Amino acid sequence: MSEEYDIPEGLYYTEDHEWLKVLEDGTVLVGVTDYAQKSLHEVVYVEMPNVGDKVKQKEVLGSVESVKAVSDLYSPVSGVVEEVNEELADSPELINSDSYGKGWMVKITPRDLDEELENLLSAEQYREHLESLKE
Amino acid sequence: MALRHTQLYEYHRLHGKLVDFSGFEMPVWFEGVIPEHNAVRNAVGIFDVSHMGRVLVVGGDAEAFLDSLVTNDVSKLAPLEALYTVACNERGGIKDDFTVYRLAEERFLIVPNAGNREKDYAWLSSHSRGFSVELKDVSDDVAMVAVQGPRAEETLQKITSEPLSEIKRFKCREVALRGHTALVARTGYTGEDGFEIYLWDTPLSNPVKALDLLEKILSAGKEFGIKPCGLGARDSLRLEAGLSLYGNDIDEETNPFGARLGFVVKLKKKSFIGKEALVRINKDGPNWRLVGMRIVDRGIPRHGYEIWKEGKQIGHVTSGGFSPTLDVGIALGYVASEYAELGTEVEIKIRQRLAKGIIVKSHPFYDETQYGYKREKR
Repeated sequence: MSEEYDIPEGLYYTEDHEWLKVLEDGTVLVGVTDYAQKSLHEVVYVEMPNVGDKVKQKEVLGSVESVKAVSDLYSPVSGVVEEVNEELADSPELINSDSYGKGWMVKITPRDLDEELENLLSAEQYREHLESLKE
Repeated sequence: MALRHTQLYEYHRLHGKLVDFSGFEMPVWFEGVIPEHNAVRNAVGIFDVSHMGRVLVVGGDAEAFLDSLVTNDVSKLAPLEALYTVACNERGGIKDDFTVYRLAEERFLIVPNAGNREKDYAWLSSHSRGFSVELKDVSDDVAMVAVQGPRAEETLQKITSEPLSEIKRFKCREVALRGHTALVARTGYTGEDGFEIYLWDTPLSNPVKALDLLEKILSAGKEFGIKPCGLGARDSLRLEAGLSLYGNDIDEETNPFGARLGFVVKLKKKSFIGKEALVRINKDGPNWRLVGMRIVDRGIPRHGYEIWKEGKQIGHVTSGGFSPTLDVGIALGYVASEYAELGTEVEIKIRQRLAKGIIVKSHPFYDETQYGYKREKR
């Protein structure tokens, strides 16, 4: 099976298939990768943290449920939840149709961004990680 | 252990997302659970159900033999009629649930669950002593597909001259489908009108007929939007219809009265395995009852989740999922009998959180004037 996954350059990734995008104002957007949405398939429900929640890197931030499976969302960074994507409450399928865009899940004001980015993967490293999962 | 395949594996391999189900490599979906589910609720879909068992029971004592084993009354069946039944152990626990077809006076077909094929056959064999009856497991020689949905009859009618409207619910007959002779039965597991088709003489080693029939039905149903459907939609459809899944909602530790299958238990029958236990359970009432629940909050209940009320656990979810028709999480589960009343508010522990739920009419969950085989014809 040679399925192709979209892995945009310029984002940071986790081994658990989250992506992180650093915005100009210093906040970050977090979502799940194309690989994650394809594995989950039809997403029907998303559980999110509350705005103002303090989160730590690698701790559970929420969950994504598809018709057949449920998967935890782990926070790629530590910080405070600034905003959650309210649109996902009514349209969780945005995670399938636009996982890196309209399917973003949480906006976080990070605490130790520079330090924690060291623990994340580049697009190339994430691609290698996906390759290693095939074996 | 190598996974087993059905006669339609070649199609699944090319078009489906495959998973292991009861030891069979089967498609969980082709396009997706939700579009396939909706195709069946609103139009028509076709499922490969060849992973289920097919056992022929033939002989002068076939009727008496089956009636000594199952809870429903096989003697009431005329040829070309079918019934749904359970078979129980001595404690009244459910060994399996299946459909029994009377093909002729002394010839029956029973269709066990995939996971119970070997168990059932061994059990049938072990009780056949003293009866003039012959058992034949033809599972691997007969392909089986289900064509389900409000446009199922129109779809199949395009490939046969036999008037299918004459085959009423739980009736069957031999029909020629574009050159293939098959037993066509108006039965199914989706809550919708539809047919189950048994294609004789189609061994695993030569599945050409099954693949050909599948293609013919798919092209016949094209104008209605037919979709090939996987096990994912089969599960979500049967859950919405409130139909039990063996191994989840019913098993040897549950009894038909608790599982609200009392309608298939005929205690007036002379004797059958488990009757004494079932008489007692019926008199005392079951301790646990299968109920349907709808999530009022957000969230999706799943198999194994706990059901709580007023700070204590009162039961557990046996089947749960997202209902595409109702757009909400629904579940079947057992609760202690005193909590089983319709309208009871419960909490379902969805991971770390208690989600509000309510016990609702669930056989089926959906509005029967709009969906299912009883719907008003449009």
